Amino acid sequence: MSTELPESAPPRSEPKETAAAPSRRAFVVTSTAVAGAVAAGGVITGTSLAGPDEATAAEAAPASRVSLTVNGTRRTVTVDNRTSLLDLLREHFGLTGSKKGCNAGACGACTVLVDGRRINSCLTLAVRLNGAEVTTVEGLTDGDRLHPLQQAFIDQDAFQCGYCTPGQIVSGVGCIQEGHTRSPEEIREWMSGNICRCGCYVNIVRAVEQTAARK
Amino acid sequence: MSPQPQAAVGAPLSRVDGRLKVTGQARYAAEHDVDGTVHAVIVDAAIGRGRITSIDTREALAHPGVLRVIHHENAPKLPYRENTASNNPPGRRLRVFQDDEVLFHGQPVAVVIATTLEAAQHGAGLVKVGYDAEQPSTDLHRAEPDKPTTYARGDAEAALRTADVRLDLEYRLARNHHNAMEPHATVARWDGNKLTVWDKTQWVVGTQTELSAVFGLPLDSVRVISPFVGGAFGSGLRCWPHTVVAALAAREAKRPVKLVLSRRQQYFGTGYRPSYEYRLRLGSDRRGRLRAMAHEMDAETSSYETFTETVMPAGQMLYSTPNVSQAYRTVPLDVNTPLWMRGPGFATASFVIESALDELAAKLGIDPIELRRRNEPSEDESSGLPFSTRRLRECCTVGAREFGWHRRSARPRSRREGNWLIGMGMAVGVYETQRNQAQARVRLDADGTALVQAAASDMGPGTYTSQTQVAADALGLTMRTVTFRLGDSLFPPTPPHGGSQTMASVGSAVLDGCNRVRRQAITLAVEDRESPLYGVDAADIVVRGGRLHTKDSPARGETYRRLLARNNRTHLEALGSYAGAAGPRRHSFYAYNATFAEVAVDADLGLVRVRRMLGVYDAGRIISPKLAESQAIGGIVGGIGTALLEHTVTDHRDGRIVNANLADYLVPVNADVPEVKAIYLDGEDREADPLGVKGLGEVVHVGVAPAIANAVFNATGRRIRQLPITAEALL
Repeated sequence: MSTELPESAPPRSEPKETAAAPSRRAFVVTSTAVAGAVAAGGVITGTSLAGPDEATAAEAAPASRVSLTVNGTRRTVTVDNRTSLLDLLREHFGLTGSKKGCNAGACGACTVLVDGRRINSCLTLAVRLNGAEVTTVEGLTDGDRLHPLQQAFIDQDAFQCGYCTPGQIVSGVGCIQEGHTRSPEEIREWMSGNICRCGCYVNIVRAVEQTAARK
Repeated sequence: MSPQPQAAVGAPLSRVDGRLKVTGQARYAAEHDVDGTVHAVIVDAAIGRGRITSIDTREALAHPGVLRVIHHENAPKLPYRENTASNNPPGRRLRVFQDDEVLFHGQPVAVVIATTLEAAQHGAGLVKVGYDAEQPSTDLHRAEPDKPTTYARGDAEAALRTADVRLDLEYRLARNHHNAMEPHATVARWDGNKLTVWDKTQWVVGTQTELSAVFGLPLDSVRVISPFVGGAFGSGLRCWPHTVVAALAAREAKRPVKLVLSRRQQYFGTGYRPSYEYRLRLGSDRRGRLRAMAHEMDAETSSYETFTETVMPAGQMLYSTPNVSQAYRTVPLDVNTPLWMRGPGFATASFVIESALDELAAKLGIDPIELRRRNEPSEDESSGLPFSTRRLRECCTVGAREFGWHRRSARPRSRREGNWLIGMGMAVGVYETQRNQAQARVRLDADGTALVQAAASDMGPGTYTSQTQVAADALGLTMRTVTFRLGDSLFPPTPPHGGSQTMASVGSAVLDGCNRVRRQAITLAVEDRESPLYGVDAADIVVRGGRLHTKDSPARGETYRRLLARNNRTHLEALGSYAGAAGPRRHSFYAYNATFAEVAVDADLGLVRVRRMLGVYDAGRIISPKLAESQAIGGIVGGIGTALLEHTVTDHRDGRIVNANLADYLVPVNADVPEVKAIYLDGEDREADPLGVKGLGEVVHVGVAPAIANAVFNATGRRIRQLPITAEALL
């Protein structure tokens, strides 16, 4: 769960309630880095006819406040310490361009740029990103104009189902910035963290090549 | 096709939905923003067979954010009516939370509903389930098979006894999981007694009928929406238990519910290509002409449903063989039910048959392509019917030329580059041309744009694009003025988006609907005294760029817009339909390929690297060449996975799948795929369907694994009769 402060959209659904102290679960060490922040946890109202399998009341989950910039917009949110950057983007910011394929860092569908470096957002806890600059596929377009790599993906038909595509494109942008595009072999190697089950690799390499050559 | 000029069909166009996909705006199942949605996470059975003895939900319910836990002790009884209009295999389908029985490891035993995903995930881990566990049976090799399905012509046993050359070969093929990049997911919402689900499915109509049957609802009370499918390869061809769980959870929680299977849960929450043990005995004369083939196939299925696939036809029709016997046995195991996966049945059979043919060629010292030529049938020997089109020889010839087959050394292990042993191999592939009843609604608006709707899916081949191409030409409009919509059960029904039948089935319905609307417009014009086309023979009129004119003098005509405006018509509309392969069969319909592979095998480590691949296809008319090429390349890449990497491993002690993740279940990555090329033979199949297409998605995958296996033999002299071909097998 997250609640956003006024500079961006209000929280989606949960009614607000005073948060109790974090309890029950010793969570990963990283959450202590922002432990001083106010935890404004949204919680739970049970139904009035609560039976044995219905929750009636509960304490708030440990949460932290984090400020980060996503596609140029600064956002400050109070976020459940367990929330990954990917879930923050998809479930709370409505930025569903970044995809969840494996949630374990093995497929690359969730690739985003953090401070210019490509990372697996599913393996990154949102609370660690205080002050970070995040770029997702939604942030690559310049108004209506596609990023050259987005256009190259269309030109080369570098996708079919499209689900891995945002991750491939963001990863490709990173690959080009890193300069790992001196040969098709090098592109293949440095794009191998992004699985395309439809098997569009040949065209993905061409799209990255085409775009790198323009630079 | 139609008398219309073909501008879009056959042109190498980019995807019409490309922009949505490269900008992250295409919405997949879990991405539909439904107000007030809460999250559901399934608790899976931790035993491979047995009974649930207790469920303790207290800790889960005390966890912040958790709303409800539903399980067999508190779930309502669901009607689970029979559903004959489904892809459910024969048997008794898994009924979620209806009793205490556990049929396989990972079966849903409870679902946790919470206000946040984090709470639902955490809560699922806090549900304590007690079991009375039994020893599951999950080993295909050790379990009791069902009675066989058989086929025979001639006397295979007698012919084998007297054949000059005999081979008796046993193959093992691993279980493969579809592992599409998008996890299966469902968002479910109830409005009173009406249910809407946004689901990952290859058949919105099938999911609709199943939910209607499970919940005992009238069909029109269930709506299924699925505009984008993030790959499926067959896994979305039936409605799985988790979709029912999501709908049940939404009803119980009185809130819309989103349920996304984890990657691990895909491995037992959805289907897979079953593992096989396949014995093939083959007899030929000294010139390599086949005398007999005897196939014995054992395939895994679940204890509660009998899943079968078309693993038998290839052995009956691919080569001229006077004596054939086949026995196909399903083996019920304590596993979840398999489902069709790309090139179902044919891909399995082709690995065996094509590996064996290569072995026969090597034994007789005959070139593998020449051996196949010598066994080319003049008709389908299983039915006596002529082939509608069969250009397999041409596939081989073109492939051999383009691939440089003459550079292959007939003697294995004779080409070496450093520590790499280099080899070339080929195999052929075949897949039946399927087509079924479909409908499409076509509406031409007064502004000269058209909207075409069908319940179809697009899991990646490009249905959006190719159907738009068909519609644009038939209506005489540009691509930009035609919108094709799919993935909604409110649209006219279509068959499942599988078995490579979408273009033939949906495409033919779209073509019919567009032809009807165009003819309506033409009739309107020739009967309208104010039209420049008044009195012209309707057959002499074509439409191009939204303008009707006579074939001979393009200057004489007018636009749809003018025609409709003058006649005070807001739109013209028609329901297009296609009857499928109706009436008696007069031909045998198949698509074919010849696939070539060059591999390098590390002489010390047994590591196999594919160096280049080529597929040549006889698949009828190609509607969308740019997308068809991608399909073929993708089919080959999938085949590289089957050949060298993919293997679902079960721990037979407790029935758990031990590599249920993408780090341990290996699929090809970019570095595994060097040069891949696809060639489609020009042509069409006039007998198959109005568009002349034969289907692409399956045939491009069939034959890939044996081509690689045969290349591995050519490189190393080692014949590996199992999939995947691992380094361990080669050492």
